Amino acid sequence: MNALRAGRWLAAIPMAALAIATVYPLVFTANVAMKTRHEYVLDRFAPAEGLRWDAFATAWASADMGRYLANSLIVVGGAVALLLLFGSMAGFALSQLRFRGSRALYLACLAALFIPFQVIMVPLARTMGQAGLVDTYPGLILAYTAQFLPFTVFLMTSYYSGIPAEIVDAARIDGNSAYGVYGRIMLPLGRPALLSVGILNALFCWNDVLIALLLMPSAEHRTLMVGVTSLRGQYSADIPTFAGGVLIAALPVLVLYLCFQRQIATGVTAGSTKG
Amino acid sequence: MPTATTDSPVRTALRTGPVTPRRRARSGRGAAGRSRAERLAPYVLVAPAALIIAVFRLYPLGLGVNFSFTGDGDRNGQAVGLDNYAALFEDPLFLASMKNVGLLVLLLPVAVAIPGLLATFIYLRVPGHRVYRSVYFFPAVLSPVIIGAIFNLLLAFDGPANALLGTVGLGPVDWLGDPDIAMYAVVGVHIWATFGMALVVFLAGFATLDASLIDAARVDGASLPRVVRHVIVPGLSRTIQFVVVTTMIGMLTSMFGLLYVMTGGGPEGSTYLPEYYIWFQQGQMGRPALASAASTVLFCVMLVVGLAQIAVLRRAGRED
Repeated sequence: MNALRAGRWLAAIPMAALAIATVYPLVFTANVAMKTRHEYVLDRFAPAEGLRWDAFATAWASADMGRYLANSLIVVGGAVALLLLFGSMAGFALSQLRFRGSRALYLACLAALFIPFQVIMVPLARTMGQAGLVDTYPGLILAYTAQFLPFTVFLMTSYYSGIPAEIVDAARIDGNSAYGVYGRIMLPLGRPALLSVGILNALFCWNDVLIALLLMPSAEHRTLMVGVTSLRGQYSADIPTFAGGVLIAALPVLVLYLCFQRQIATGVTAGSTKG
Repeated sequence: MPTATTDSPVRTALRTGPVTPRRRARSGRGAAGRSRAERLAPYVLVAPAALIIAVFRLYPLGLGVNFSFTGDGDRNGQAVGLDNYAALFEDPLFLASMKNVGLLVLLLPVAVAIPGLLATFIYLRVPGHRVYRSVYFFPAVLSPVIIGAIFNLLLAFDGPANALLGTVGLGPVDWLGDPDIAMYAVVGVHIWATFGMALVVFLAGFATLDASLIDAARVDGASLPRVVRHVIVPGLSRTIQFVVVTTMIGMLTSMFGLLYVMTGGGPEGSTYLPEYYIWFQQGQMGRPALASAASTVLFCVMLVVGLAQIAVLRRAGRED
């Protein structure tokens, strides 16, 4: 008993150190962004002399980050909308409706979950190119939807299987068609799962760089993360502006995390305990 | 659609005329009595997801495997047998990337043990456990690109990491420029960025654990290591299995952003991973067929690693 208690306090020390190590890189970057180039060269660690927002303004204006941000919002918004719509439709059908082939479809979906993008990216890029979808918004939206749909269907199916069949039956007796049950019962009931899976998908799409690099090659269609990769070459001599640009790109995710921490954790752990 | 052919004339007759709610309710006793639209409904609902997954995920897999047996450049489209695979295993870059996969497999226990241990401490209510959970998880939501950019700053040769080492008298380390060190630096950053993910999964596993078992062990005066060894590990075998597999998959498929930003595969090709090699051959060298062969190898590696780990963990679980 006592040994355990002492152990707990002993463990708290490295854990606190690790917590600092987790947060410090970001704090350091924020501090650098507030400095002038001269300050940075003189001392990297000292706190900035004041709150200066120049670096952020410069990065925003001269690195075209507004355009990249708009591109990201379009693509992520489109993909998340499609993912939630198609994922909840399929999840409802696979969990609550009985039809021939449902088991096979579910298994195919599960199998697709284990195909990493790297394995299919060459043929996918080729097919997309032949269809004229490379370097277009619909192309990237479709690629993201395809990438994260198996996961979304899997999560929505397991969430909807927890809804008692009586609810569906009652709605049927009230005269609802399958579509009516979906629209009037399943969508509202699925809100917590949709929120969780939607935020998670938004994060995945927002953070992606490989798919965007592959399918959106032109500068004007760059997403924000691809834009960040080009910051370094642009500002290799101006570290504060570089840091400012990186932080601008990190800010939306930071806000999302602070608001929806619980939903993100739920989404990440789903499937881990059920196997 | 699959069901369109299984109509009987009687049912079709039942379906004519506007379907009022009341009629539907009466005829909706079983699947057989439903209208055609109703019987098609599940397929309509599943169709968009099924089509997208089939066309953009399952079909390309087959296409890619096929593609890996054809040639690049002058021999575009011609069947070349196993030439691409032969070329692959003669390419020092690809061999370097496979060697790095081996390194990742060796580092896997570390990447699983760290979050496992931390989750144990949090579960045992180390002072401040509520804060740790959200702090540790935070880097997991940031894009590898952003993390890579931040660590480019921190690990620069004249950067703060070396300045810190300098104050304790250790020589500057060329974190990202030394071929013997760069891969460890990148993997270290990857573990730093993702251990929170595994931690949260472990904590979810702990929530399903029977707390009275741990209390009983404590009352019996078991030490912490013994509690971990005899109560927690067996109780969490399923969670551990999940974390091991997802961590390995993560290491093999989600380090592209870090590699792209931090090292670009260098120095001297020492930080290549198959995913980076595939991207390089496809996008930069214009050798998609060779890249497809590398994709196929990566897929096989993932299958083998995944199945082997599950088999090993199953056996370990049975012995307990």
